[in-house]
Amino acid sequence: MVPLSWYLALSAVLFTIGAVGVFVKRNVISIFMCIELMLNAVNLTLIAFSSFYREVSGQLFVFIVMTVAAAEAGVGLALVIAVFRNRESLNTDDINLLKL
Amino acid sequence: MQSLNLNYYYVLPHIILSITGIMSLLFGAFNKQAHRDLVFINSAGLITAGVSTYRLWNLVSSNAKDGPLTAFSGMVVLDHMSLAFIFIFLIVAFLSTLLSLNFLEDEDQSPEEFNSLLLFATVGMMLMASAGDMVMVFLGLEIASIATYVLAGYRKTDLRSNESALKYFILGSFSTAFLLYGMALVYGATGSTNLETISNAIKSGNNAITAQPMVMELLYVGAGMLLVGFGFKISTAPFHVWTPDVYQGAPTSVTAFMATGPKAAAFVAFLRIFVFTFAASYSFQLHTTWVNLLQVLAILTMIIGNIVALSQTDIKRVLAYSSIAHAGYALIGFLADDWISVAFYMLTYSIMNIGAFAVVSVMAGKGDEKTELENWAGMGFKSLGLSIALLVFMLSMAGMPLTGGFMGKFFIFKTAWDKGFHIIVIVAVLNSAISVYYYLRPMVMLFFRDENETNPTPLMSWTTYVTILLALAGTFYLGIMPGRLFSLLEVAKDVLVK
Repeated sequence: MVPLSWYLALSAVLFTIGAVGVFVKRNVISIFMCIELMLNAVNLTLIAFSSFYREVSGQLFVFIVMTVAAAEAGVGLALVIAVFRNRESLNTDDINLLKL
Repeated sequence: MQSLNLNYYYVLPHIILSITGIMSLLFGAFNKQAHRDLVFINSAGLITAGVSTYRLWNLVSSNAKDGPLTAFSGMVVLDHMSLAFIFIFLIVAFLSTLLSLNFLEDEDQSPEEFNSLLLFATVGMMLMASAGDMVMVFLGLEIASIATYVLAGYRKTDLRSNESALKYFILGSFSTAFLLYGMALVYGATGSTNLETISNAIKSGNNAITAQPMVMELLYVGAGMLLVGFGFKISTAPFHVWTPDVYQGAPTSVTAFMATGPKAAAFVAFLRIFVFTFAASYSFQLHTTWVNLLQVLAILTMIIGNIVALSQTDIKRVLAYSSIAHAGYALIGFLADDWISVAFYMLTYSIMNIGAFAVVSVMAGKGDEKTELENWAGMGFKSLGLSIALLVFMLSMAGMPLTGGFMGKFFIFKTAWDKGFHIIVIVAVLNSAISVYYYLRPMVMLFFRDENETNPTPLMSWTTYVTILLALAGTFYLGIMPGRLFSLLEVAKDVLVK
């Protein structure tokens, strides 16, 4: 059996990749995908703990996270489309109207 | 384990507001020009929800000996703190509904989605206030956030509004991921997502499921992640960078809502998890760790918020940085473990901020064109009433006696001082002194500069007028006669401590 710590290490790595990607990536869609990666890393942690404890509440949490992530994706992509219609660009360097 | 207690009466305010939201959506679908009717529908729903919250408050007071009321397997917890914050959210939603009518009518935006999203966001905030489980905190947070993302981008063809919504969305979900990771790690350490079970596990030092000693590193890292996530949501430095951009770009009446409602909601969830669950009486070491961290964050937040606000030229950005600084002041209440002064502070903060943004929305004119302070030169005598109202709100934010802002700050600083946090209180008082400069700069612009272009006299609709009057009345009421409200909350404190 794969020990719990391996799952935790994997999800920590995935979360870090996602978090770094949010800062490094320049395309809004890529940033969005990185955020989804972070959420899924969290889901992996929850499922790993849940199966380690042989208890369902962690898995129920994952269902809720997935549902909310889907709703968030709907709103997020709608916002991306709204920006693209007005700007015809999804590069974050171009979206710079509001600055210090 | 709690029993599955499906008590719909405990979530009646939430249910009423959800139904009102759906009703205004349907009503707007059949009446194309329903701006004004929708304000009445929303207000009716909010007032009904307020009445049922009041009845719940009495129920909680009379059930004081048995501790807080719980329902839905411990998912919903009702105590005085949750109900006090629910009242704040209802007030915020009511004032925002009134304020937004002018924006919706002037720019011919569809009112039904706006009004229902406002109510759905309020329901999310109320769920956060009454959450007894980390799942509920997350769910309420997302209901509130997703609705607010859409509201921020409500001017679909305005580039600033688009950008604001996109930035809010990206940084909002980024911070949610941190919050969730923290929740997952705390679940891993303690073996439960229920806050009461978590606090018992922390108290005993054993995992709730295995009954083995828990892995403290997991708990500490989880708590740290939660701190980062909440830090983003209430915009403490160094997690504040999104706030000015988002507040500047969103329509002003939405900014008024965003700066007050979701922020207060993040504060109540923050209080619930840190002050109540990670309390000193459960684990002294964990408590000291987060108090020390939060102390640094609060000092940073106040200093950065106030210093950067000095150099801003856009009134909405000034108010955004001021709201960052206010988050710093409110955090001082966390150090003293005192939710009552935080709740009182959030109430005064909400009222004066909505008032200030209401004035800004009128002065900025249609489409929020004139938010630069330069554009306001010499407007003071043309719109004397508005300028004086703005002066009152600004002085209240700076902490002038006789206004609500002073009383809010006073109670926070007093409890922190009594608990021995002297240095941070001194820093906070000095910061309040600095803030007077940028709060009074708009006044200099309005009254002591010559008009550089011929501006038309700003016009406002009666609902905006009522909003400003209500906010003024609230600011003075809380500043001159805070005793009644505060004694009501003080009674709640005796009830709360089990």
